[in-house]
Amino acid sequence: MVAASQHPNITLMTYSEVEEVGGYVGNFRVKIRQKAKSVNHDLCTGCGICWEKCPNTILNEYNQGLNLRKAIYIRFPQAVPNKPVIDRENCRQFQMDGKCGVCKEVCQAGAIDYEQQDLILEEEFGSIVVATGFDLFAWEKAYGEYGYGKYPDVISGLQFERMSNSSGPTEGKILRPSDGKEPQRVVFIKCVGSRDDAKGKSYCSKVCCMYTAKHAHQVLEKIEGSEVYVFYIDVRTPGKGYEEFYRHSLEEGALYIRGRVSNIIPKNSSLIVRGEDTLLGRQVEVEADLVVLATAMTPSYGSDAVARMIGIGTDKDGFFEEAHPKLRPVECHTAGVYLAGTCQGVKDIPDTVSQASGSAVKVCALFSVDERELDPLTSSVNESICSGCSTCVLVCPFKAIEIKTVTERFYGQTLQRQVAAVNEALCQGCGTCTAACRSGAINLKGFTNEQILAEVKAACL
Amino acid sequence: MSLEKTTAPKPAPAQPGNWEPKIIAFCCHWCAYTAADLAGLSRIQYPAAVRIIRVPCSGRANPQFILKAFQKGADGILVAG
Amino acid sequence: MKRVGVFICHCGSNISAVVDVNSVAEAAKKIPNVAYVTHYKYMCSDPGQEEIVKAVNEHNLNRVVVASCSPRLHEPTFQKTLQRAGLNPYLLEIANIREQCSWVHSKFKDLATAKAIALIRMMVAKAAENVPLLRPSVYIRKKALVIGGGIAGMQAALDIADAGYPVVLVERDNTIGGKMAMLDKTFPTLDCSA
Ligand SMILES: Cc1cc2nc3c(=O)[nH]c(=O)nc-3n(C[C@H](O)[C@H](O)[C@H](O)COP(=O)(O)OP(=O)(O)OC[C@H]3O[C@@H](n4cnc5c(N)ncnc54)[C@H](O)[C@@H]3O)c2cc1C
Repeated sequence: MVAASQHPNITLMTYSEVEEVGGYVGNFRVKIRQKAKSVNHDLCTGCGICWEKCPNTILNEYNQGLNLRKAIYIRFPQAVPNKPVIDRENCRQFQMDGKCGVCKEVCQAGAIDYEQQDLILEEEFGSIVVATGFDLFAWEKAYGEYGYGKYPDVISGLQFERMSNSSGPTEGKILRPSDGKEPQRVVFIKCVGSRDDAKGKSYCSKVCCMYTAKHAHQVLEKIEGSEVYVFYIDVRTPGKGYEEFYRHSLEEGALYIRGRVSNIIPKNSSLIVRGEDTLLGRQVEVEADLVVLATAMTPSYGSDAVARMIGIGTDKDGFFEEAHPKLRPVECHTAGVYLAGTCQGVKDIPDTVSQASGSAVKVCALFSVDERELDPLTSSVNESICSGCSTCVLVCPFKAIEIKTVTERFYGQTLQRQVAAVNEALCQGCGTCTAACRSGAINLKGFTNEQILAEVKAACL
Repeated sequence: MSLEKTTAPKPAPAQPGNWEPKIIAFCCHWCAYTAADLAGLSRIQYPAAVRIIRVPCSGRANPQFILKAFQKGADGILVAG
Repeated sequence: MKRVGVFICHCGSNISAVVDVNSVAEAAKKIPNVAYVTHYKYMCSDPGQEEIVKAVNEHNLNRVVVASCSPRLHEPTFQKTLQRAGLNPYLLEIANIREQCSWVHSKFKDLATAKAIALIRMMVAKAAENVPLLRPSVYIRKKALVIGGGIAGMQAALDIADAGYPVVLVERDNTIGGKMAMLDKTFPTLDCSA
């Protein structure tokens, strides 16, 4: 993280979002909104007095709601950049007409700036790497049998991670959210939302088997005398050293039970986990202090908007679609746009890093030349018969067609007429426009109507 | 595209058991055509009566191509993409 | 005048063991616009490509149909061959007589041979309508945008930056790191994730 922030060739723009993407390979025009941080990061020293004194507390999303944060905050002590922003929606200064000002008062550096505005930056880029990542399946909405998120001691894998992280809300201690006690018996449930056509996603989220083995190990290591039960459908560990890693957690004493959990019922201060052991063919019941759910990975929220903005296809689950599943896994159908990481499909860190490096090579290869030849198999308009109806503009999936005005002389008069115009750099040569064009004015080079009709006729001989 | 004089093809000789349909398939280069190649790679056998026409996208399959194929005597048309 | 050359590949025996290349060549000669036909063991090999270059010049060919494996494999190869022969690369068409013929009709040699002829006829008909095309070129601005500052975005940004190109890394949260920064230790090595 620090390496990325210190590299002389990298400009880091946090608290920013891409708002508009136009143009084409080699020449993308991009509009980026830098949200107002309300803190001048050039002056701020990151001393932390502001968030210490801030009187506003809000549920800490970064720690998965396990504790509270202030309205002026950093995500975690090692955050990059290590300087705060004000969450205006939850800040008294902004919500109660300037009736607070505590942070401004205590800031020695004079860095607090309530007047700061969003900045809009417009820049041109030759290439775009999309790495918008993943989010977790909202199990609270789908799994009534696990309590719809109402039982505090049924947590997600990410909540578990935040607890075991030494910079997290419990400084690395695994504790029950309900009473802050150390759990003795921990149950892990895998495939929550994954491989579940009825309630979740049909795919396997791929990383959960491994991180559950990791979590099991962490419980057994950190809590003396603890017991770990893992409910699973299958254990999948393809990867270098992965099977060994899983075996290690077994040797440490994790008990794996093959079967789905049918329900969780609170009893006194613990939870009764009921399920079926399908190997032994009998019902099992475990009284647990803490239940950890390995929930499915899904595309990150808002990624559909990113896909539309840039012109990336998505698969049935909303992950970004690569140009070819085997041969072009980091490219997409829009030239000059590459995919990295879990935005394209579920992946662990090693796979994410490989794909990211792959997309970087694609970018570097593109940048190794000053000019790039484009495929000439693009649509072209016969302006003399184009009626300017815009049907092609509407059907073009790549936003490659515009309507332009042409001036013509007609029986001594000057006339202006609207016709379609194809941007050759944006056009990917799908030919959808040619099939939609009623006047036959638009044709696809390399696959013209004449060429295909000749083929049809020859095929019918 | 010009509309040619309709010349109905001669009906195929009706020999029971011997008749082969004429099937034209418009296959998207990126998926269906690739799948047809994969069928080859996997040595999956299928009837020889199908003629695949490669198009850059199934969206390229202009309705006129389909009408033309029927006019010229195709028995079945598949647009795959 | 259109003068199409047809070059039939045996692909070792991948094609010729099923398709009777001699009778295909004979039939191809009768297809309208065809000016020259030959067949060879490996059309994509150096001598095979030389055969094409030579024939284009000697027989004044202005369109080429190669009947071989899928265009998804060797279309770029043969486009370069045409360029070497002084022809525009888009005057090439490929008849797929391996993946979509010899490999899928291997038990019916007669039908496969007839289909190969039909496929060549289709591609000759298409090629006759081909026109030279020019590749437009665009200027490449050497600056990259990376959207998302998780491990994927950071790694991509670092690699591009290390190659000497400027990168703008855009992250919507107020820190980079993504999910990985939330994790404690990571499998399979259990090292830290910061
Ligand atoms: C509980 C759990 C434990 C795990 N443990 C391990 C482990 O031990 N080992 C392992 O190898 N893998 C593990 N993984 C998997 C690992 O987390 C992922 O492989 C990895 O984090 C994926 O990185 P990413 O960059 O693709 O996505 P993310 O980490 O999600 O990063 C995406 C980034 O993009 C940003 N972003 C999203 N949309 C936009 C936008 N529109 N504009 C700007 N920025 C945007 C996000 O804010 C985020 O910072 C675990 C996963 C989970 C859920």
